[in-house]
Amino acid sequence: MGREVSESCVDSLLTEMVSMYCNRLYANKPELAASRIDAIGYQVGHQLSERYTMERPRFTDHLDAIKFICKDFWSELFKKQIDNLKTNHRGTFVLQDNRFRWVSRMSLDPSENGDLSQENAEAAENKAAQEPNMHLHFSCGVIKGALHNLGIACAVSADPSHLPACSFVVRIKP
Amino acid sequence: MIVCVAVVGHQNNPLYIQSFTDADDSLKLRHIVHCSLDVVDERVNNPKKSGPTLNETFLGLLYPTENYKVYGYLTNTKVKFILVTTDLDVKDADVKNFFRRFHAAYVDAISNPFHEPGKKITSKTFAERVSTIVKSFGLSSTG
Repeated sequence: MGREVSESCVDSLLTEMVSMYCNRLYANKPELAASRIDAIGYQVGHQLSERYTMERPRFTDHLDAIKFICKDFWSELFKKQIDNLKTNHRGTFVLQDNRFRWVSRMSLDPSENGDLSQENAEAAENKAAQEPNMHLHFSCGVIKGALHNLGIACAVSADPSHLPACSFVVRIKP
Repeated sequence: MIVCVAVVGHQNNPLYIQSFTDADDSLKLRHIVHCSLDVVDERVNNPKKSGPTLNETFLGLLYPTENYKVYGYLTNTKVKFILVTTDLDVKDADVKNFFRRFHAAYVDAISNPFHEPGKKITSKTFAERVSTIVKSFGLSSTG
């Protein structure tokens, strides 16, 4: 007996949260905004991992837990699995999603801001590039929270160079 | 009859402990729960090769004391559920069913955004759900 949530509501909530932290609360301190958004994602991931590991037997090792993130966790959140998983067998994993849901509808065209003068165009481009990065901080927090709850201390960063394809790099702390 | 249920976090910190008897021996029950944590750790770290797979969440009967039986359940997130009961013949299936419902109630309680992870569970809804589960456990095992 599950309840359903409208996906556009989730998108709107995330967009508004990022915009609130970036433009109103920490307008001139993007690093603080990023870490706050990461912390929100951490708590969400922490709680979600508790719910999604309910029916499953326990994991034997790190690879099992990462595979759980790639398959079950991602399917529950985004209705698809991670498209590609790479590892160097020394504690670093790269999870690649070829069409990451939360940024797939974001505009990546910096000229939309309307300013045509040169220096404004650069600032506008920087600002436009920052927006998807902030959303990715939330997703990194979700992954980090989920893995921490499974007992794996790690650092997660995102590589936004080829949006909407997105890679998350998970480095497990020894 | 279930005497006590407890939820213990992954650093062996108590998150929820509730006793269901009228007698005032909550200290003794806490002591039993505390001792059973050692048994849980031992089961997890030294798996018997001929026993069930070490991936099972349900740990089974941890140890019988004078009047009580203690059952354990370990989740994927290293949270332990401890059940203390005075029943002499409890089927494993009943206990597994109990733990499954208890786990569902626990997950709902900690999904509350106002709940801080690592702190005690203070939700009244959780306490009510647990009471309901405990009452129906008694009925199903005698019926």
